[in-house]
Amino acid sequence: MHDGPGIRTTVFLKGCPLRCAWCHNPESWTLQPQEAESVTPGQAPTILGQSRQVGEIMDIVRKDRAYYERSGGGLTISGGEPTLQFQFCKALLQAARSENIHTCLDTCGCNRTGIFLDLLPWVDLFLWDYKATGELLHQKLTGSSCELIRENFELLYQRGASILIRAPLIPQVNDTPEHLEALSAFARDYTKLRGIEVLPYHDTGLSKFERLGIPRRALQTTVPSPAIKARWKAGLHPQIIIKD
Amino acid sequence: MLLTITPMLDLEPSFTELHQRHGHLPPADREAESPRFLFALELEFTRAYQRHQHLPVALREAECLKTILPSMMQPWQKGDLLVGRTRYPLVGFSPEPGGFGFYCLEENITRQLEEQPVSPQISSEVLGMLDFWRGETTHAKTRQAYPETVRQVLPSDEWINSSGIALPVYRLAGLTLDYEKLLKLGIPGLVRQARRLSQTPGDEEAASFGQAALKVLEIVANSCRSYAGEIRAKLAAGQAVDRDLEALADALEVLPQRVPQTFLEALQLFWLYAVHSGTWNYGRLDDFLGPFLADDLETGRITEAHALRLLQSLWRLITACDCQYNNRVFIGGRGRKNETVADRVALLAIEATRTVQTNQPQLSLRFYTGQNPLLMKKALTCLGEGRTFPILYNDDVNIPAYARALGVSEKRATDYMPYGCGEYTLYHSSVATPSGVINLLKCLEVTLHNGVDPMSGRPCGLVTGDPSRFHTFDDLWKAYARQLSHHVAALAHQEKIEYDIAGREAAFLLPSLLFDDCLGRGRPLLRGGACHVGGTLESYGNINTSDSLAAVRKLVFKDRTCTLMELVAACDANFVGHEPLRQKMITAPKFGNDDDEADAMARRVHDHVCATATAQAKIVGLDSYLIVVINNSANVAFGHTTSASPDGRTSGDALANAINPSPGQDRNGVTAFLNSLVKLDPSIHAGAVQNMKFSRSLFNGERPKLEALLEGYFSQGGSQAMINVLDRRDLESAMKEPEKWGHLMVRVGGFSARFIDLPRDVQLEILKRTLHE
Repeated sequence: MHDGPGIRTTVFLKGCPLRCAWCHNPESWTLQPQEAESVTPGQAPTILGQSRQVGEIMDIVRKDRAYYERSGGGLTISGGEPTLQFQFCKALLQAARSENIHTCLDTCGCNRTGIFLDLLPWVDLFLWDYKATGELLHQKLTGSSCELIRENFELLYQRGASILIRAPLIPQVNDTPEHLEALSAFARDYTKLRGIEVLPYHDTGLSKFERLGIPRRALQTTVPSPAIKARWKAGLHPQIIIKD
Repeated sequence: MLLTITPMLDLEPSFTELHQRHGHLPPADREAESPRFLFALELEFTRAYQRHQHLPVALREAECLKTILPSMMQPWQKGDLLVGRTRYPLVGFSPEPGGFGFYCLEENITRQLEEQPVSPQISSEVLGMLDFWRGETTHAKTRQAYPETVRQVLPSDEWINSSGIALPVYRLAGLTLDYEKLLKLGIPGLVRQARRLSQTPGDEEAASFGQAALKVLEIVANSCRSYAGEIRAKLAAGQAVDRDLEALADALEVLPQRVPQTFLEALQLFWLYAVHSGTWNYGRLDDFLGPFLADDLETGRITEAHALRLLQSLWRLITACDCQYNNRVFIGGRGRKNETVADRVALLAIEATRTVQTNQPQLSLRFYTGQNPLLMKKALTCLGEGRTFPILYNDDVNIPAYARALGVSEKRATDYMPYGCGEYTLYHSSVATPSGVINLLKCLEVTLHNGVDPMSGRPCGLVTGDPSRFHTFDDLWKAYARQLSHHVAALAHQEKIEYDIAGREAAFLLPSLLFDDCLGRGRPLLRGGACHVGGTLESYGNINTSDSLAAVRKLVFKDRTCTLMELVAACDANFVGHEPLRQKMITAPKFGNDDDEADAMARRVHDHVCATATAQAKIVGLDSYLIVVINNSANVAFGHTTSASPDGRTSGDALANAINPSPGQDRNGVTAFLNSLVKLDPSIHAGAVQNMKFSRSLFNGERPKLEALLEGYFSQGGSQAMINVLDRRDLESAMKEPEKWGHLMVRVGGFSARFIDLPRDVQLEILKRTLHE
């Protein structure tokens, strides 16, 4: 319900080049399947991640066709960073398109430019992350420079790609005045954007770190209160939507 | 010369007198509850029954109703814009609400006698009364009529507490009456028809039916007059002019004499007849009231705002009947005679539900592709605000499905009318009472123990064969199927007996007058009058059974992870010391995930139990006998008496609700849940319940997606939806601080309730159910 327009089936691909401080899907970082302790004490560990063929995925995706058609929904490929499994990603997008299923790619934009250009014809809508403003802060919070990400965005935008910007906002961490201004600037200057959505921080993924045995970076933040969200709204362009 | 005409009728005592005599005044006006008053009506009724015991059935009933009906009518209460509140005595006659036919609530009476000492004379009278009724109630007579075969399979009537596969339920249920006919004819018109019937030459039964009908219609007319008198007295005593009460008194005074003409008159006649009739499912309210509303609005007699106030008052009166399992009001759908004007009433009805915020009536919206979109739009708004109504019924699926199930034309099936917790019947022309309940999971449980109930240790059902010798899954299936058929056959037979005895003992006069085709045939309801006399059977644990069978097939016969006896032993131990095996049972395929294996098994169980029931009709002589898969918290009660099951469910845990997945077992999202639901064929049974919980943020925050979801579901064969919009946090908070959560309504199964009023185990079961976000 929350990964693109309409009712969608979302496929999560493992592997991510970034290590965002607020990530709630740490099981998506490595490419390989990995073991996690069960949520219920005393039970066997679970394996997160499975190997699948495009055909197997399409069998599942196809089941909800009636719902996609009525709601403008379809397939979303997310992750991790789905373009790390470029061949698979492209094959799945093509398969969906060939059956007239709308395609969304949920990406952080951090990969070779050629890859994005290659995928462009098969993606109906890019869900594009915008994580932090300022090169130093971006490096600190995500582990990567923002230059390549920005270049890829500009190029796709110029080529007429349909893009929806998704900006996670973490109180006291990335919600600087510069960042809010930068988001507003997107709204003002990039009029062909499909939209800009703010995703308020949530902490539902914290226990996964423990279960996976991954050390978690301490984050000095809180789940944003209505007051904080109101402050954000006041500092943002009116067309920017703050999701629940 | 002046002639004084003396009326030939007995003048009924005023209601106030009756209330004083029988102690049915509201507490403030009553003396300290003297036990004399408490049983006076019951004793009087018993004496009347004894006096008229040997009259023809219809006439006996009329005399008995003359004794109790007037006293059952309760006074107008401040704020009511209509009259018609009832209170049922502990001994009496009723089609549905008070008890089954002639009833005696012995346990209640005994308890009251213990709690409040009475004079020896009264005590002995009451004990004598209990003795008399013990063999005389319609319930007792039904049980007396069971042949040995039925008695063996249904040894107990105590279905709430005793452990068993199948149990009888003694009642009539779901009668819907032709209120359109009532409003067209009025009391005088019905009297004319009854009089004609009473004069049928050469047909004694028809004649006595007609005579008895005249008597009961006079009771209704007298109620109008008595209530009118009461209201006039209130007006005379009051300080200010009260136009609402004046209008009400005016209406009550004319109703005995002519056809209703205004919306108020129509509403009041409908309601007064309904409460006298002893039925509590009201049919297509929007259709029979539509023309009256249209006329009033056109002539400026009332405004829509006032019409709403009248409906709100009706809603409160319906709530006062206090039957959360019934009290269905229908709006919308194909086959309405006056669709455009009916829509106006329908919209007001939704508004009444939205504003009155009680768990009754169970407002139900039928819809079809192309219907006025405002109805569904308003319904979703109402649901989004947290009401559990309207319940949504998809005509495009239900009409052809019920036509097939019942074996009637689609035209006839346009009259399909769900009632109670979700059973289908035909609007004012078919009787479809569920007279039995069956626990499919227990059926499997007993099969796995070769005819022994592990909960009680005693023999139960058939000995179907030593399970250690089942070499294939098919061996198990065949044994389960035998066990099931054995019980269904007995239940079908029992239903026929119940109808026969009910028909032998009672005419059910007031319902009969508005039921097809009693007046036409000159016969009361169950004595040849009803067009279609069919039965229904409530089945429980359907999904647990199919999930269990799926687990057994996979673990025992496919993967060979364990033997059948090892699996049974694990269940017998309630999984203590068998946790790894239990985990495998839990992770075996489960219905609700759009998983072909689990869903195919669900289909198999579903198709089989439906076919088994349907086949009984011809054998026992009913027009139909169909399964219903509904719920009324019986899933919790039956769960208590069922031990641990191969789907991983622990002993005593609630069964899954109707055809919904086991709580929390639908893990693949809401579309998978819906895809699973529509795989179960709706055209082979008489109603199944689909409950769905949605979070507020999804239902309201993403309304277009939600609408697409529902549209997708309905278009793929979804027959109905009972929707509950709330947040999990609300339920948890309500459990911690119930005093702050009186407003929270939840859909339990075939009924709604205030969450804080539910027993804890039902609350926990609801909490476990999946909330779609």
